Amino acid sequence: MKAMMISIAALVACGSPLPPKELVDAREAYLKAQSGPAQKFVPAELHVAGESLAVAEKAFTDDAKSQDAIDDAYIALRKIQRAVALGEAAEAEDAKTRADREAGRTQREMLSSEEQKLRATQGELAKERESVEKAREETAAEHAARLAAEKKAQDAMDALAKTLAVRKEDRGTVITLSGGVLFATGKADILPGAQTQLNQVAEALKTQAEHHFTVTGHTDNQGTDAINDDLSTRRANAVRDYLVVHGVSADAITAQGMGSHQPVADNHTAEGRAMNRRVEIVVDPDKR
Amino acid sequence: MSKTLIWFFATALAFGCGGAPKPEARLSSDEGAIRGAKEGGADNVPEAQLELTLATEQRQKALDLIQSGDNHRAEMMLARSEADAELALALARAAAAKADAQRAEDSVESLKRKADQ
Repeated sequence: MKAMMISIAALVACGSPLPPKELVDAREAYLKAQSGPAQKFVPAELHVAGESLAVAEKAFTDDAKSQDAIDDAYIALRKIQRAVALGEAAEAEDAKTRADREAGRTQREMLSSEEQKLRATQGELAKERESVEKAREETAAEHAARLAAEKKAQDAMDALAKTLAVRKEDRGTVITLSGGVLFATGKADILPGAQTQLNQVAEALKTQAEHHFTVTGHTDNQGTDAINDDLSTRRANAVRDYLVVHGVSADAITAQGMGSHQPVADNHTAEGRAMNRRVEIVVDPDKR
Repeated sequence: MSKTLIWFFATALAFGCGGAPKPEARLSSDEGAIRGAKEGGADNVPEAQLELTLATEQRQKALDLIQSGDNHRAEMMLARSEADAELALALARAAAAKADAQRAEDSVESLKRKADQ
Protein backbone atom coordinates (compact mmCIF):
# COMPACT_ATOMS: atom_id res chain seq x y z
CA MET A 1 0.00 0.00 0.00
CA LYS A 2 2.81 2.30 0.99
CA ALA A 3 4.74 1.40 -2.19
CA MET A 4 1.64 2.10 -4.23
CA MET A 5 1.24 5.53 -2.66
CA ILE A 6 4.90 6.30 -3.41
CA SER A 7 4.41 5.20 -7.02
CA ILE A 8 1.35 7.37 -7.36
CA ALA A 9 3.19 10.33 -5.83
CA ALA A 10 6.06 9.77 -8.25
CA LEU A 11 3.71 9.67 -11.20
CA VAL A 12 2.04 12.88 -10.09
CA ALA A 13 5.39 14.50 -9.67
CA CYS A 14 6.33 13.51 -13.20
CA GLY A 15 3.15 15.04 -14.50
CA SER A 16 1.47 11.69 -15.20
CA PRO A 17 -2.34 11.66 -14.96
CA LEU A 18 -3.90 10.42 -11.72
CA PRO A 19 -5.54 7.00 -11.91
CA PRO A 20 -9.36 7.01 -11.88
CA LYS A 21 -11.10 6.44 -8.54
CA GLU A 22 -12.30 3.01 -9.76
CA LEU A 23 -8.69 1.89 -10.28
CA VAL A 24 -7.57 3.21 -6.91
CA ASP A 25 -10.48 1.41 -5.24
CA ALA A 26 -9.76 -1.78 -7.16
CA ARG A 27 -6.10 -1.76 -6.13
CA GLU A 28 -7.03 -1.28 -2.45
CA ALA A 29 -9.75 -3.90 -2.60
CA TYR A 30 -7.39 -6.42 -4.17
CA LEU A 31 -4.72 -5.87 -1.54
CA LYS A 32 -7.29 -6.30 1.19
CA ALA A 33 -8.80 -9.37 -0.44
CA GLN A 34 -5.44 -11.13 -0.49
CA SER A 35 -5.43 -11.30 3.29
CA GLY A 36 -9.11 -12.21 3.62
CA PRO A 37 -11.18 -15.38 3.25
CA ALA A 38 -11.14 -15.15 -0.57
CA GLN A 39 -7.45 -16.09 -0.61
CA LYS A 40 -8.13 -19.15 1.53
CA PHE A 41 -11.46 -20.34 0.19
CA VAL A 42 -11.74 -19.13 -3.44
CA PRO A 43 -8.17 -18.52 -4.68
CA ALA A 44 -9.19 -19.19 -8.31
CA GLU A 45 -11.85 -16.45 -8.19
CA LEU A 46 -9.36 -14.06 -6.65
CA HIS A 47 -6.86 -14.94 -9.36
CA VAL A 48 -9.43 -14.11 -12.05
CA ALA A 49 -10.10 -10.80 -10.27
CA GLY A 50 -6.36 -10.14 -10.23
CA GLU A 51 -6.21 -10.70 -13.97
CA SER A 52 -9.03 -8.16 -14.42
CA LEU A 53 -7.03 -5.69 -12.36
CA ALA A 54 -4.03 -6.29 -14.63
CA VAL A 55 -6.21 -5.57 -17.65
CA ALA A 56 -7.37 -2.34 -16.00
CA GLU A 57 -3.79 -1.37 -15.18
CA LYS A 58 -2.78 -1.97 -18.81
CA ALA A 59 -5.73 0.04 -20.10
CA PHE A 60 -4.70 2.89 -17.81
CA THR A 61 -1.10 2.63 -18.97
CA ASP A 62 -2.16 2.57 -22.62
CA ASP A 63 -4.54 5.49 -22.39
CA ALA A 64 -4.96 6.95 -18.93
CA LYS A 65 -7.80 9.25 -19.91
CA SER A 66 -9.87 6.76 -21.88
CA GLN A 67 -13.34 5.62 -20.81
CA ASP A 68 -12.18 2.03 -21.41
CA ALA A 69 -9.58 2.45 -18.65
CA ILE A 70 -12.34 3.58 -16.26
CA ASP A 71 -14.65 0.76 -17.37
CA ASP A 72 -11.95 -1.87 -16.99
CA ALA A 73 -11.13 -0.54 -13.50
CA TYR A 74 -14.85 -0.61 -12.63
CA ILE A 75 -15.13 -4.19 -13.84
CA ALA A 76 -11.95 -5.21 -11.97
CA LEU A 77 -13.30 -3.68 -8.77
CA ARG A 78 -16.56 -5.60 -9.15
CA LYS A 79 -14.74 -8.87 -9.79
CA ILE A 80 -12.57 -8.34 -6.73
CA GLN A 81 -15.66 -7.55 -4.66
CA ARG A 82 -17.29 -10.64 -6.08
CA ALA A 83 -14.28 -12.77 -5.08
CA VAL A 84 -14.45 -11.27 -1.58
CA ALA A 85 -18.18 -12.04 -1.33
CA LEU A 86 -17.66 -15.58 -2.58
CA GLY A 87 -14.83 -15.99 -0.06
CA GLU A 88 -17.13 -14.84 2.72
CA ALA A 89 -19.85 -17.19 1.49
CA ALA A 90 -17.40 -20.11 1.47
CA GLU A 91 -16.14 -19.14 4.92
CA ALA A 92 -19.74 -19.06 6.21
CA GLU A 93 -20.47 -22.42 4.57
CA ASP A 94 -17.38 -23.81 6.28
CA ALA A 95 -18.55 -22.41 9.61
CA LYS A 96 -21.97 -23.94 9.04
CA THR A 97 -20.43 -27.32 8.25
CA ARG A 98 -18.40 -27.17 11.46
CA ALA A 99 -21.44 -26.07 13.45
CA ASP A 100 -23.56 -28.87 11.97
CA ARG A 101 -20.83 -31.36 12.84
CA GLU A 102 -20.66 -30.02 16.37
CA ALA A 103 -24.45 -30.10 16.65
CA GLY A 104 -24.40 -33.73 15.56
CA ARG A 105 -21.68 -34.54 18.08
CA THR A 106 -23.57 -32.72 20.85
CA GLN A 107 -26.79 -34.51 19.94
CA ARG A 108 -25.01 -37.86 19.98
CA GLU A 109 -23.53 -37.04 23.38
CA MET A 110 -26.94 -35.98 24.68
CA LEU A 111 -28.48 -39.15 23.30
CA SER A 112 -25.76 -41.24 24.86
CA SER A 113 -26.25 -39.48 28.18
CA GLU A 114 -30.02 -40.01 27.98
CA GLU A 115 -29.45 -43.68 27.15
CA GLN A 116 -27.17 -44.05 30.15
CA LYS A 117 -29.76 -42.40 32.38
CA LEU A 118 -32.44 -44.64 30.91
CA ARG A 119 -30.34 -47.75 31.49
CA ALA A 120 -29.66 -46.64 35.07
CA THR A 121 -33.37 -46.02 35.62
CA GLN A 122 -34.21 -49.37 34.10
CA GLY A 123 -31.66 -51.00 36.40
CA GLU A 124 -33.14 -49.27 39.41
CA LEU A 125 -36.64 -50.25 38.33
CA ALA A 126 -35.56 -53.86 37.87
CA LYS A 127 -34.03 -53.85 41.37
CA GLU A 128 -37.15 -52.22 42.75
CA ARG A 129 -39.32 -54.79 41.02
CA GLU A 130 -37.12 -57.59 42.32
CA SER A 131 -37.30 -56.13 45.81
CA VAL A 132 -41.10 -55.79 45.63
CA GLU A 133 -41.37 -59.35 44.31
CA LYS A 134 -39.12 -60.64 47.07
CA ALA A 135 -41.13 -58.76 49.70
CA ARG A 136 -44.33 -60.13 48.19
CA GLU A 137 -42.96 -63.66 48.29
CA GLU A 138 -41.79 -63.18 51.86
CA THR A 139 -45.17 -61.80 52.84
CA ALA A 140 -46.89 -64.70 51.15
CA ALA A 141 -44.53 -67.14 52.85
CA GLU A 142 -45.11 -65.47 56.21
CA HIS A 143 -48.83 -65.55 55.64
CA ALA A 144 -48.71 -69.22 54.70
CA ALA A 145 -46.51 -69.98 57.70
CA ARG A 146 -48.87 -68.09 59.96
CA LEU A 147 -51.87 -69.91 58.58
CA ALA A 148 -50.07 -73.22 58.99
CA ALA A 149 -49.05 -72.32 62.55
CA GLU A 150 -52.59 -71.24 63.36
CA LYS A 151 -53.99 -74.42 61.89
CA LYS A 152 -51.47 -76.47 63.81
CA ALA A 153 -52.38 -74.62 67.01
CA GLN A 154 -56.07 -75.05 66.36
CA ASP A 155 -55.58 -78.73 65.59
CA ALA A 156 -53.62 -79.12 68.83
CA MET A 157 -56.33 -77.35 70.81
CA ASP A 158 -59.02 -79.41 69.07
CA ALA A 159 -57.15 -82.57 69.95
CA LEU A 160 -56.81 -81.35 73.52
CA ALA A 161 -60.51 -80.58 73.67
CA LYS A 162 -61.29 -84.25 73.07
CA THR A 163 -59.77 -85.24 76.41
CA LEU A 164 -59.82 -82.05 78.47
CA ALA A 165 -62.20 -79.19 79.14
CA VAL A 166 -61.28 -76.40 76.80
CA ARG A 167 -63.41 -73.30 76.44
CA LYS A 168 -63.17 -69.80 75.12
CA GLU A 169 -63.65 -66.92 77.50
CA ASP A 170 -62.96 -63.19 77.38
CA ARG A 171 -59.67 -63.75 79.21
CA GLY A 172 -58.62 -66.32 76.54
CA THR A 173 -58.78 -70.02 75.91
CA VAL A 174 -59.09 -71.81 79.22
CA ILE A 175 -57.85 -75.38 79.64
CA THR A 176 -59.10 -76.95 82.85
CA LEU A 177 -57.37 -79.89 84.52
CA SER A 178 -59.01 -81.68 87.37
CA GLY A 179 -57.12 -81.36 90.66
CA GLY A 180 -58.08 -84.89 91.56
CA VAL A 181 -56.30 -86.25 88.50
CA LEU A 182 -53.18 -84.14 88.92
CA PHE A 183 -52.50 -84.31 92.63
CA ALA A 184 -53.06 -86.44 95.69
CA THR A 185 -55.13 -84.78 98.41
CA GLY A 186 -53.23 -81.96 100.14
CA LYS A 187 -50.16 -82.53 97.87
CA ALA A 188 -48.54 -80.56 95.11
CA ASP A 189 -46.63 -83.37 93.42
CA ILE A 190 -47.91 -84.31 90.02
CA LEU A 191 -49.22 -87.82 89.90
CA PRO A 192 -47.70 -90.13 87.30
CA GLY A 193 -51.14 -90.75 85.86
CA ALA A 194 -51.48 -87.06 85.05
CA GLN A 195 -48.38 -86.88 82.91
CA THR A 196 -50.11 -88.01 79.74
CA GLN A 197 -52.59 -85.15 79.99
CA LEU A 198 -49.91 -82.63 80.84
CA ASN A 199 -47.76 -83.83 77.96
CA GLN A 200 -50.68 -83.18 75.62
CA VAL A 201 -51.10 -79.72 77.14
CA ALA A 202 -47.39 -78.97 76.71
CA GLU A 203 -47.51 -79.97 73.03
CA ALA A 204 -50.58 -77.81 72.47
CA LEU A 205 -49.02 -74.78 74.19
CA LYS A 206 -45.84 -75.13 72.19
CA THR A 207 -47.87 -74.58 69.02
CA GLN A 208 -48.91 -71.20 70.42
CA ALA A 209 -45.51 -69.91 71.32
CA GLU A 210 -46.51 -66.31 70.54
CA HIS A 211 -49.00 -66.22 73.37
CA HIS A 212 -48.61 -65.88 77.10
CA PHE A 213 -49.96 -68.53 79.46
CA THR A 214 -51.15 -68.23 83.02
CA VAL A 215 -51.41 -71.28 85.23
CA THR A 216 -53.82 -70.78 88.15
CA GLY A 217 -54.32 -73.24 90.98
CA HIS A 218 -57.72 -73.49 92.70
CA THR A 219 -58.95 -75.45 95.75
CA ASP A 220 -62.30 -76.16 97.36
CA ASN A 221 -63.17 -74.38 100.57
CA GLN A 222 -62.08 -77.17 102.86
CA GLY A 223 -59.38 -75.94 105.24
CA THR A 224 -58.13 -72.46 105.93
CA ASP A 225 -57.47 -69.84 103.26
CA ALA A 226 -53.81 -69.81 104.19
CA ILE A 227 -53.50 -73.51 103.53
CA ASN A 228 -55.58 -73.35 100.38
CA ASP A 229 -53.74 -70.31 99.04
CA ASP A 230 -50.38 -71.97 99.62
CA LEU A 231 -51.53 -75.30 98.20
CA SER A 232 -53.02 -73.73 95.10
CA THR A 233 -49.84 -71.72 94.51
CA ARG A 234 -47.61 -74.76 94.85
CA ARG A 235 -49.83 -76.78 92.53
CA ALA A 236 -49.84 -73.99 89.96
CA ASN A 237 -46.05 -73.80 90.15
CA ALA A 238 -45.75 -77.57 89.85
CA VAL A 239 -47.77 -77.55 86.66
CA ARG A 240 -45.85 -74.57 85.34
CA ASP A 241 -42.53 -76.27 86.03
CA TYR A 242 -43.69 -79.47 84.40
CA LEU A 243 -44.73 -77.61 81.29
CA VAL A 244 -41.44 -75.72 81.14
CA VAL A 245 -39.50 -78.94 81.47
CA HIS A 246 -41.55 -80.26 78.56
CA GLY A 247 -40.70 -77.44 76.19
CA VAL A 248 -42.92 -74.47 77.01
CA SER A 249 -40.90 -71.26 77.21
CA ALA A 250 -40.33 -70.17 80.85
CA ASP A 251 -40.69 -66.55 79.77
CA ALA A 252 -44.15 -67.24 78.37
CA ILE A 253 -45.72 -68.83 81.39
CA THR A 254 -46.55 -67.60 84.88
CA ALA A 255 -48.26 -69.30 87.82
CA GLN A 256 -50.46 -68.10 90.63
CA GLY A 257 -52.56 -69.65 93.36
CA MET A 258 -56.12 -68.47 93.78
CA GLY A 259 -56.97 -70.65 96.80
CA SER A 260 -60.70 -71.17 97.11
CA HIS A 261 -61.61 -67.66 96.06
CA GLN A 262 -62.85 -68.44 92.53
CA PRO A 263 -65.13 -71.48 92.83
CA VAL A 264 -66.87 -72.68 89.69
CA ALA A 265 -69.29 -74.99 91.54
CA ASP A 266 -71.09 -75.42 94.82
CA ASN A 267 -68.70 -76.30 97.64
CA HIS A 268 -71.56 -77.89 99.62
CA THR A 269 -71.52 -80.97 97.45
CA ALA A 270 -68.73 -83.45 96.91
CA GLU A 271 -69.16 -83.10 93.17
CA GLY A 272 -68.99 -79.32 93.37
CA ARG A 273 -65.88 -79.40 95.50
CA ALA A 274 -64.26 -81.82 93.06
CA MET A 275 -64.95 -79.36 90.26
CA ASN A 276 -63.52 -76.50 92.27
CA ARG A 277 -60.27 -78.40 92.85
CA ARG A 278 -58.65 -77.67 89.57
CA VAL A 279 -55.79 -76.11 87.66
CA GLU A 280 -56.58 -73.75 84.81
CA ILE A 281 -54.23 -72.78 82.05
CA VAL A 282 -55.30 -69.59 80.32
CA VAL A 283 -53.97 -68.84 76.87
CA ASP A 284 -53.85 -65.04 76.56
CA PRO A 285 -55.77 -63.99 73.42
CA ASP A 286 -53.21 -61.25 72.65
CA LYS A 287 -49.83 -62.15 71.31
CA ARG A 288 -46.77 -61.39 73.36
CA MET B 1 -9.61 -3.91 -58.05
CA SER B 2 -6.76 -5.02 -55.93
CA LYS B 3 -7.10 -7.70 -53.25
CA THR B 4 -6.39 -5.14 -50.51
CA LEU B 5 -9.26 -2.94 -51.63
CA ILE B 6 -11.64 -5.87 -51.68
CA TRP B 7 -10.62 -6.73 -48.10
CA PHE B 8 -11.21 -3.12 -47.01
CA PHE B 9 -14.75 -3.01 -48.36
CA ALA B 10 -15.60 -6.44 -47.01
CA THR B 11 -14.41 -5.56 -43.53
CA ALA B 12 -16.22 -2.22 -43.57
CA LEU B 13 -19.43 -3.99 -44.55
CA ALA B 14 -19.04 -6.52 -41.77
CA PHE B 15 -18.47 -3.91 -39.05
CA GLY B 16 -21.28 -1.57 -40.05
CA CYS B 17 -19.37 0.84 -42.08
CA GLY B 18 -16.36 1.36 -39.75
CA GLY B 19 -17.99 0.59 -36.22
CA ALA B 20 -17.67 -2.47 -33.89
CA PRO B 21 -20.13 -5.33 -34.40
CA LYS B 22 -23.25 -5.55 -32.25
CA PRO B 23 -22.15 -7.28 -28.99
CA GLU B 24 -24.55 -10.22 -29.27
CA ALA B 25 -22.53 -12.56 -27.05
CA ARG B 26 -22.19 -9.97 -24.31
CA LEU B 27 -25.90 -9.11 -24.52
CA SER B 28 -26.67 -12.75 -23.98
CA SER B 29 -24.20 -13.37 -21.15
CA ASP B 30 -25.30 -10.18 -19.38
CA GLU B 31 -28.92 -11.17 -19.64
CA GLY B 32 -28.03 -14.55 -18.13
CA ALA B 33 -26.09 -12.91 -15.32
CA ILE B 34 -28.99 -10.59 -14.42
CA ARG B 35 -31.47 -13.48 -14.52
CA GLY B 36 -29.12 -15.59 -12.38
CA ALA B 37 -28.81 -12.82 -9.80
CA LYS B 38 -32.59 -12.47 -9.56
CA GLU B 39 -33.03 -16.24 -9.22
CA GLY B 40 -30.26 -16.30 -6.63
CA GLY B 41 -32.27 -13.98 -4.37
CA ALA B 42 -30.44 -10.70 -5.05
CA ASP B 43 -33.77 -8.87 -4.89
CA ASN B 44 -34.08 -9.82 -1.23
CA VAL B 45 -30.65 -8.70 -0.03
CA PRO B 46 -30.24 -4.88 0.15
CA GLU B 47 -26.58 -4.65 -0.95
CA ALA B 48 -27.18 -7.20 -3.70
CA GLN B 49 -30.32 -5.39 -4.79
CA LEU B 50 -28.27 -2.20 -5.29
CA GLU B 51 -25.83 -4.00 -7.56
CA LEU B 52 -28.69 -5.59 -9.45
CA THR B 53 -30.26 -2.19 -10.00
CA LEU B 54 -26.96 -0.88 -11.33
CA ALA B 55 -26.68 -3.87 -13.64
CA THR B 56 -30.17 -3.31 -15.01
CA GLU B 57 -29.58 0.42 -15.53
CA GLN B 58 -26.29 -0.17 -17.30
CA ARG B 59 -27.85 -2.81 -19.53
CA GLN B 60 -30.48 -0.25 -20.53
CA LYS B 61 -27.73 2.27 -21.30
CA ALA B 62 -26.01 -0.38 -23.41
CA LEU B 63 -29.21 -1.00 -25.35
CA ASP B 64 -29.50 2.74 -25.96
CA LEU B 65 -25.88 2.86 -27.16
CA ILE B 66 -26.57 -0.03 -29.56
CA GLN B 67 -29.54 1.93 -30.90
CA SER B 68 -27.27 4.90 -31.48
CA GLY B 69 -24.69 2.67 -33.19
CA ASP B 70 -21.94 2.87 -30.55
CA ASN B 71 -21.38 -0.85 -30.21
CA HIS B 72 -17.98 -0.57 -28.58
CA ARG B 73 -19.27 1.56 -25.71
CA ALA B 74 -22.30 -0.70 -25.55
CA GLU B 75 -20.09 -3.74 -25.10
CA MET B 76 -18.15 -2.06 -22.29
CA MET B 77 -21.41 -1.02 -20.62
CA LEU B 78 -22.68 -4.59 -20.90
CA ALA B 79 -19.43 -5.85 -19.35
CA ARG B 80 -19.99 -3.47 -16.43
CA SER B 81 -23.60 -4.63 -16.15
CA GLU B 82 -22.53 -8.27 -16.15
CA ALA B 83 -19.88 -7.62 -13.48
CA ASP B 84 -22.52 -5.90 -11.34
CA ALA B 85 -24.98 -8.76 -11.79
CA GLU B 86 -22.36 -11.36 -10.90
CA LEU B 87 -21.43 -9.34 -7.83
CA ALA B 88 -25.13 -9.12 -6.87
CA LEU B 89 -25.42 -12.92 -7.05
CA ALA B 90 -22.24 -13.39 -4.97
CA LEU B 91 -23.52 -10.94 -2.33
CA ALA B 92 -26.85 -12.76 -2.17
CA ARG B 93 -25.06 -16.09 -1.77
CA ALA B 94 -22.82 -14.67 0.96
CA ALA B 95 -25.80 -13.23 2.85
CA ALA B 96 -27.66 -16.54 2.67
CA ALA B 97 -24.58 -18.53 3.72
CA LYS B 98 -23.93 -16.20 6.65
CA ALA B 99 -27.56 -16.49 7.80
CA ASP B 100 -27.38 -20.30 7.53
CA ALA B 101 -24.12 -20.36 9.50
CA GLN B 102 -25.59 -18.12 12.18
CA ARG B 103 -28.63 -20.36 12.50
CA ALA B 104 -26.40 -23.43 12.77
CA GLU B 105 -24.22 -21.78 15.42
CA ASP B 106 -27.30 -20.66 17.37
CA SER B 107 -28.60 -24.20 17.19
CA VAL B 108 -25.33 -25.56 18.61
CA GLU B 109 -25.45 -23.05 21.45
CA SER B 110 -29.03 -23.99 22.19
CA LEU B 111 -28.13 -27.69 22.21
CA LYS B 112 -25.19 -27.09 24.52
CA ARG B 113 -27.38 -25.16 26.93
CA LYS B 114 -29.84 -28.05 26.90
CA ALA B 115 -27.04 -30.55 27.45
CA ASP B 116 -25.77 -28.56 30.43
CA GLN B 117 -29.19 -28.54 32.08
